[in-house]
Amino acid sequence: MSAQVFSVSEVKQLLDQGAQLVDVLGEDEFEHDHLPGAINIPLKRLDATTAARLDRHRPVLVYCNDFG
Amino acid sequence: MIDYVPGKQAWFEDNQPREGKAVDEIWIGDVAGSDVPTCSLTERIGDVRGRTAGWDTCVVVDPQGVVLGLLRKKELDADPQATAEQVMRPGPKTFRPNVTLQELLKSMRDHEIQTNSLVTTGEGRLLGVISRADAEATLAHEQAAETRTDS
Repeated sequence: MSAQVFSVSEVKQLLDQGAQLVDVLGEDEFEHDHLPGAINIPLKRLDATTAARLDRHRPVLVYCNDFG
Repeated sequence: MIDYVPGKQAWFEDNQPREGKAVDEIWIGDVAGSDVPTCSLTERIGDVRGRTAGWDTCVVVDPQGVVLGLLRKKELDADPQATAEQVMRPGPKTFRPNVTLQELLKSMRDHEIQTNSLVTTGEGRLLGVISRADAEATLAHEQAAETRTDS
């Protein structure tokens, strides 16, 4: 089960600690704007192969657009 | 796996940096002036007026900087003994910092807004103000630069 964070300051703290940032939105949206340093793995393509880009030894912080 | 629940919009609504093509856009958080006068609910209008010379706007905020109301010229000219809370315009219209300058100007034109527009975070904290004149001038300058680049 994943942990949840709710604030910008928590995100910054996790990134400072080496967390990887994953944007699961579509490629077009990602190309338009994303959080600095994020990589794009669209949710529809998230599987063992695409997730292999991630470092298994560092936390992974995932985001999409918003609550909706 | 950690889920950043509020997501990208909350990040940008907090006026945090961005990457991607949107770096080339002008978002109003990039250009809003943060030197607008502010006051608390309990300040007397006479005191507020004394330190807002040259401004026709003062934003009423709580101790965290969250916008509660607005004083325009009419309110700044009110009874000097009145408190900001007594005369302010409560709950003024605000814009998020990740609105583009074009979107802001469209809204200003559609609603015939000539005065300063408030820019706040998603949680309502004041980031700054942008006037219609400054918005128009910034956009015209940007479009002229694009034209020069294209030619």
